[in-house]
Parts: sequence; C-alpha cells; structure tokens
Amino acid sequence: MRAVIAEDLALLRDGLVRLLTAHDFDVVEAVEDGPSVLGALIGHRPDVAVIDVRLPPTFTNEGLLAAIEARRQVPGLPILVLSQYVEPLYARELLSDGAGGVGYLLKDRVMDVGQFVGAVRQVAAGGTVMDPEVVSRLLAKRVRDEPLGRLTTREREVLALMAEGRSNAAVASNMVVSEKAISKHIANIFVKLDLAPSDDDNRRVMAVLAYLNS
Amino acid sequence: MAGAGAGTGRAVPPDTNAMSKDVSDRGSSAGAAGESGRVGRWIARLFRATAGFSGLSSDAPASSGWPWAAKWRVTSFGIFLGLAVTVVWAVTGAHYFWPGWIWFALALPLAFQGAIRRALRTNGRRALAMHAAVSLVVALAGIVIWLLSGHGYFWPIWPFLGLAIALAGHAWLVPMLPNNREQALRERVAVLTRTRRGALDVQAAEMQRLERDLHDGAQARLVSLGMSLGMADELLDIDPAEARRLLVDARIAAGDALADLRALVRGIHPPVLADRGLNGAIQALVLAVPIPVEATIDLPEARLALPVESAAYFAVAEALTNVVKHSEASTAWIQVHLADGKLSIVVGDDGIGGADPEQGTGLRGIERRLAAFDGTLRVSSPPGGPTLVTMEVPCEPSSQKTSPS
Repeated sequence: MRAVIAEDLALLRDGLVRLLTAHDFDVVEAVEDGPSVLGALIGHRPDVAVIDVRLPPTFTNEGLLAAIEARRQVPGLPILVLSQYVEPLYARELLSDGAGGVGYLLKDRVMDVGQFVGAVRQVAAGGTVMDPEVVSRLLAKRVRDEPLGRLTTREREVLALMAEGRSNAAVASNMVVSEKAISKHIANIFVKLDLAPSDDDNRRVMAVLAYLNS
Repeated sequence: MAGAGAGTGRAVPPDTNAMSKDVSDRGSSAGAAGESGRVGRWIARLFRATAGFSGLSSDAPASSGWPWAAKWRVTSFGIFLGLAVTVVWAVTGAHYFWPGWIWFALALPLAFQGAIRRALRTNGRRALAMHAAVSLVVALAGIVIWLLSGHGYFWPIWPFLGLAIALAGHAWLVPMLPNNREQALRERVAVLTRTRRGALDVQAAEMQRLERDLHDGAQARLVSLGMSLGMADELLDIDPAEARRLLVDARIAAGDALADLRALVRGIHPPVLADRGLNGAIQALVLAVPIPVEATIDLPEARLALPVESAAYFAVAEALTNVVKHSEASTAWIQVHLADGKLSIVVGDDGIGGADPEQGTGLRGIERRLAAFDGTLRVSSPPGGPTLVTMEVPCEPSSQKTSPS
C-alpha cells in the first residue's frame, strides 16, 4: 500500500516512516512543508496519506487546507490528518465533501501503534475515523435540535462510535450487544436522519457529518 | 534647525495628537484638545517660515529643510544690507538717520522668532506664554518706532494699555477654562496607570496559574512516566509480564501529559485562533455551544492586532459560557464588526436576564483585560431578559494576513 507523509518535525516524520514501513506500507514520499504537500498528493495519488495540520511556512493549518484542496481535485483521496489538538470545526471541513476516506486524529494516538495502523488502513479503505476527543466534545453538547434530537440515547452512542471509525463488530463488542442489534440501530439512525439507501459506507459518512453539524 | 524642529515636535507631538483623539472618544475635552493641536501646528508652521526667512539659526543642518550654509548666507546678507545702507547714508551726507528703519525691519522677524521660541519652551500654558511673548515684541517695536520717529508725545502708552488688558484677560480666563488639554492628559494618565496595573495583575495571575498547572499536571505525569520506564527497564529480564504492564502505564502517562499540555495551550492561546484568526475561532466556539447561536461576523481579511484578537476571543468565550451556565436561553447571537477603528462585539441571548457583572469574576476579568486596550464592556440584562453583553475595543487590522487559502 503506497503512502505519503507530511510532517515537519524530523523526529516524528522518521518515526512515522518507520512505523508505516514496519507495517507493510510503502512510503513513496515524506514531505516537510506546506507547499510540497499538494504536489506530492496529486503527483503520487497514494493509497493513503498521513498529514500534519500545522506545517511551515505559516505554521497554522496548511496541512488541513492542502488535504481539503487535494480531495477537491481528486475526490475521495484517502487522507488521515494528524494534529496536536483537534478542533470540531476542522473535522466538519474535512468531512464536508461527504466522500469518506478521511481521518482526523490526535498525534497522541500514534502511541497505540496497533490502533493507529488500523485507523490508517480504515481510511485507505474509504472509512471515516474521527478522534474520540472530537466525538466526546460534540457529545458534551446537549442535542436539542433536529434531526439528531430524534435519535435515542442508545442510537447516539452507536453514532458516536461510528464517528470514531469503528466497524459494526467493534461497536457491538464495545457496547456488549450482538452485531445484529447494532445493524438494527444503524438502520434506524439512517432512517431518522433521512439518509436514502445507497452505498452503506457513504451513508455512514453522511451520518457522522450530520452528527458533527449538529 | 533643531530649535524649530523641537518647536514643531512640542507643538504637535504625534502621540499627543493620538491621545487627544482617544480623549475625545471618551467625550471629555475633545474640542479644546483638537483646537489647540491645530493652533499649535499653525504657529509652528509660521515659526518655521519666520525662522527660515530671518535666516538665523544655530542648529544642526540635518534637522531641517534649510541647508545651514544657505541660512548663514541669508543672515550675512541681512548684516551686509544693514551695513550697506549705513554706508550709503554716510556717503550721502549723514543727515536724518533713515537706515534705523531698515535695521528695524531686519531685526523685527528675529525678535519674533526669539520670543516665540522661548514661549514654546515653557511647560503648561503655552498659549498664554505665546501671547505674552508676542505682546512684548509688539510693545518693544512700538517703543523703537517712537524713538525712530522723533520721540515726541509718548503715544505707545495706548497700545501698551490695550495689550496689557488683553493679556491680563487671557491670564485670568485660562484657569477658568474647563477641561483644558492639561486636565484631559492628567485624566488620561490616571486611566493608563490604572489599566496598566490591571493588565499586569491579570498577567501575573495567569503566569502563576500556568506554573501551578504545569507543576501538578504535565511535569508530575512525566516524572511518573520516567519512573515506570525505569522500573520496566529493571524488570525486563526478571519479570517480562510486569515490565510490559509498566510500559503500558508509561504510555498512558505520556498520553495524559499531552492532554494536560493541550488544555494548557488552549487556555493561553487557542490554536484555532492562531490558525484562523478571530473569525474562525469564534465559529469554533459557536460549534461547542449546546444551543443554536447565530454568528454575524464582519471582519476584514487582514488579522487584527494579536493582543486584541486574543482578548476579544476570551471575552466572547466568557460571554458564551455565561449564556450556557446561567441564562437558560434557547438561542443566542453574536455580532462582530470592525468599523471606524473600533471592534464591536455583541453577545445576546433570549434567556432570563438579571445578569450582574459585579457578581462573579468572569466578566470583571474580561472588563479589566479589555480596559488595557481602552476597551469597554457593558451589560444590559433586565429581569426577564434579553441579556446583551456589548464590548468595544479600539483596533486597527494588523499587517499580518490570515492563513493562505
């Protein structure tokens, strides 16, 4: 699987390259500043890219903007955005094209190597992975407005876990219920959020987006 | 021409000018201060012209438009002219001493220049000093004219009387003028002293909080992490299972330390504010509020001055926190706009009202923080609502651009 990495700190960049290489990724390019990110993404069209939000020369959110622009040019280009902090606003911007294949995680998550690599693979496969902190910060909002207000507490829990990018099986084991029960909850969520039956993956993204937009 | 230069500087120091603008914003002696600035400028210009014309200057050549040599030439020319007419008078028979009039005409601008320069050097009542100096020169000129014209009846007594009455009237009026510039400046200094102390207090308290948070948070967690790693190192060969458990502990401690640092950074300078400026940061704040908030933000593309941006951000955050905590509102709204060098922020809600800024430290802290920028905070919150928190801060966009997009 071909990967592109964008990270300005050499220590972390080398660490990411080593980590991904050890897990059978082929890191085709590792760039260190904002202006080269877009070129690398469009040039290589990797199976997955891991990009730091904050890059030189402005050290603001160039990585994020490059990711959004790359996905505008190549819809659905799988990108996992890493950051020292997570901001629900950015999560919403990343997801707003509704195409999936997007992840937004705290850099801390790299410490749990197994889970991190799992997240990279999931993004590569077109899934959506949101950091639990994004999800929990949004969960802290009392949900009053429609249409999320229509969801039961249980359904909202399922939606939160979906937003973190977990599969049905993972959600089921987390909530200690059967996978079948989870499928039923998810079907209910789709109906309540007026998501027409289509590609299941896409509906998951749309559901998460509705959740982030609440 | 440092004399004239300094005179100009004193008449209208640029910051004094700005200050008088600020003062006028506060509604006190606006007109008086502005007026005296204009008069000062006008006098300075006149003074410069006079000094240039008379050509007398002992000042450094670099400080004026007039090259030193040229001025010296004009002065020498004046002296030469005086001598020349005297010679002409002597050669033509030395009758009535008419060159006295020429000398008088040449000396008059010098006398005015000297008097005005001296007057400008006084502190405080400069207008009065100027008036006295000009009156003195006019009186002396009268005496000289009286002497040159054959000192008959001492008619200059009448202009003397007129000048003296005018001067006495001026001197009598000055202390009675309300809110003169001096008074306005004194008030301004008092405000600045108070707000500066407030700003420093806030800063010192912040620093202390940061120190404590670091000490009890990230630092403690890093120590624990180091201990776990050290013990894991010792146990690696003897008890691999326990070593692995300690490694997991270490990883958790590292994660907690990072979480602490993140929370700390958010409190100092929220990353989203650094990334997106006030506009984006307020949108991010709104996203975290559990009730619908309508944000109308009208800000220029250029970033605001960073300290103002930060103070405004924390002010909005505090106002929104209050809405959520106390107002029982179902909707809220934020209006932000920059016009006429003033940043205006209104945070309103449809809650129960009755908010009192005197209670609780949140709004007071915001008020003190804004005061450091001459900003103000007003709260209108009648029982039954709605609550409106209005903040205004003088502010210009800085040259720094928002992130390239």
